[in-house]
Amino acid sequence: MKYALLLALAAALAAEDRFTRELEETARVASVMVDGDVCRRIVTARAMDYLLRTDPKDRFLAGDNYDVNAEAFHSVKKTLIRLSRLVPFPADANLWMPVPGHPDKVRIVIRNANELSQFWPWGALYQDMIPEMKTVLETGRRLTVTRKPGWVSALAPVRDSLGDIVALVEVASQRSLNPRENVK
Amino acid sequence: MQIRFLLFYVSLCVQGAELRLWPEYLRAGPDGDVVAADRVTAADSAPKTVRVARAGYASLQVAVGLRSPGEYTFRVHSPLQADVFREWYHRLEKDQVWYPDALVPVKLPHTARLPDPDNRIGNQRVQAYWVDIWVPAGTQPGEYPLTFALESAEGNAEAAVKVRVLPSVIPDQDAVVIDHNSYGSSWIGDIYPGEHARNGTDFYRSDAFFRLIHAYHRIFYEHRGVFHQLGYGHAGKVGPEFAPALAGTGRNKHIASWDLYDRHYGPLFDGSAFRGSRRGERPIPFAYLPINPEWPASYLWWGEPGYEAEFGNVVSEMERHFREKGWTHTRLELFFNHKKRYMGFPWDGDEVRFLKDDRYFKEYGGMFGNAVPKDSPVRFVFRADTSWTMEQQSKELAGIVNMWICSDGILSWYPGVAREMKRRGDIVWFYSGPPPVTQAAAKVTEFPLQAWLWGIDGYVHWLTVSAGADPWFRFDGGGTALVYSGERFGIEGPIPSIRLKVQRNAVQDLALLDSFQTRRPVAELRAEAARRFNGSKPEDWWNPRPAIADRPPIEWTNEEMDAASAGTRKMLRGTRPDAWENVHAFVMQLAEELQ
Repeated sequence: MKYALLLALAAALAAEDRFTRELEETARVASVMVDGDVCRRIVTARAMDYLLRTDPKDRFLAGDNYDVNAEAFHSVKKTLIRLSRLVPFPADANLWMPVPGHPDKVRIVIRNANELSQFWPWGALYQDMIPEMKTVLETGRRLTVTRKPGWVSALAPVRDSLGDIVALVEVASQRSLNPRENVK
Repeated sequence: MQIRFLLFYVSLCVQGAELRLWPEYLRAGPDGDVVAADRVTAADSAPKTVRVARAGYASLQVAVGLRSPGEYTFRVHSPLQADVFREWYHRLEKDQVWYPDALVPVKLPHTARLPDPDNRIGNQRVQAYWVDIWVPAGTQPGEYPLTFALESAEGNAEAAVKVRVLPSVIPDQDAVVIDHNSYGSSWIGDIYPGEHARNGTDFYRSDAFFRLIHAYHRIFYEHRGVFHQLGYGHAGKVGPEFAPALAGTGRNKHIASWDLYDRHYGPLFDGSAFRGSRRGERPIPFAYLPINPEWPASYLWWGEPGYEAEFGNVVSEMERHFREKGWTHTRLELFFNHKKRYMGFPWDGDEVRFLKDDRYFKEYGGMFGNAVPKDSPVRFVFRADTSWTMEQQSKELAGIVNMWICSDGILSWYPGVAREMKRRGDIVWFYSGPPPVTQAAAKVTEFPLQAWLWGIDGYVHWLTVSAGADPWFRFDGGGTALVYSGERFGIEGPIPSIRLKVQRNAVQDLALLDSFQTRRPVAELRAEAARRFNGSKPEDWWNPRPAIADRPPIEWTNEEMDAASAGTRKMLRGTRPDAWENVHAFVMQLAEELQ
């Protein structure tokens, strides 16, 4: 009986390891596959100009002016979808980018169909920099974050043609998925 | 001015027990005083007779008062059918005052205590009840008594009113559609924790879950309204009961299971969800489809042949399924709710601001047309919610989009746009939200009246089922709720609100008023309704076209748009609690004259 329990525990741990490894491996591939130059072209210059603007008389100012270049968006999103399909369970590959001139801020740029992210507060155009993301953006190291129970996010840097780190990919999943979360 | 209901004190009490009758538009607090929002109305000179057309409701409120804490029994006697509800006093988190709104059904005779131990108001002196009198279409016209009796240790009291049933019959079909919107279904588990726990992890596949969904449709239907649940998120995630399950990819993509979808929508599309209701079994008139840029076709194939293959396969199967089931009465809405600011897709489906995004509507219109037989009896519509670019979209997407949900502020500049959409047979609604309880009781009637005065088809309350974490003692005012969970009161389903009842009564009046246009010019009816409501003219409900309308919409600021709609807002700022009562009196007067 004791051995059976130990075996079951070992199997569960191994499965958990596989879960994390699958996401980490996909993140590693993402660093190679996602084109940093195209990422830089996604959000329009006009939208970036509005991104941090606030107006007490117009609380939707930045959101109402948010816009993207469709071709760049399509291209990167399709790559992200393909990456998420490397994982044999539901996962999303999300694109995050820094906010130029504001090293303490970060923004999500592309989300995907399972609406999974460990970091995005629903609806935010930008948010405070996540320390682990800062590390990835500054050092180019891949990191795995398990801050929320049941969540795993593998973070990987994205470089442009000059070799600069311009973005990162979050490959995220939850061990127990809620099929109705974020259906809104 | 003729007031519908009694407002006079009729008490035969000899010691301290009292019964007080109130019209539907004056809400009293637990201290017995009219709430601040309704206080502007003079509270006397009321008639003693209630007039009601057949196939409709008459409503009034009865307040039980005791001088000291104690038990009482409340009875209602009438040959007509009376539904009685205890009014719940919500404590507003912001102002720490009490407003009645949720209506808890009670069985008669009803025995209770004052103060109500559940409502937990230490100095509660009064408990109000909402009374709906239902008058079926076959009721013999004439006068019927309606009496209320109170028994308590302090003494007994009685009050009476006459109900005059007119020969007129309120039409089944409404002159305006009132839509009550919601998003997803996870909130159902949240506000029915007991039912959720009883069904465990299977809750969202249980019969109890689908009964609850149907109960929401039913409560809005019984209040002459429509209920919508959007079943997908801004990046395309679809809730399992909102779409058939899919399998395969590319040319092999197909529907694998209708199980959850049919359990959800089958009783709504064939009307059986409304069996036993007073309005009878009838298919719901509208429902969202789950189609979005990520469903049924994977966004991975956007711009490639595989996208239209996946889209066409599944949409064709859906059309065939609906046709074979005979689900051909409901308008099924192809609708894109996503906004690019939520980072799922590179174009706005909801409220297009950038004109370049219209091209996606054209592409989907084309793909949809290719997937559905031209002679299909299934009633698909292409819906767009529109604001900034309304004027341009109404032309650019004419013949593609045929259901428009318009920003009321912006539509108010464009009477010609509304006319043109209606001329070509499109469905036109405007959107808004429920007024909080702190606004005058008649505030909720502005929307149906506005839609009818504008000559359009209806309006949408954008969110109507979200009453907050604690609507009972830390209430946010109800700006996103017109019904409440009944679980606290042992009811596994929603319970109505005073605002929902007031709205229903206005909509039934409009249905009757609109039917009079066979005998009076509609312009005359509209002019008089507007005058009675607030002394306005129909043209006052439109705003002049502002200068910003001639600039590109991406240059407009919200401040400029607000300023451009200030005229109508100002006109409606002073809506009195009895504003609808005056319109009702007009409708009843016409019903008596024209019968």
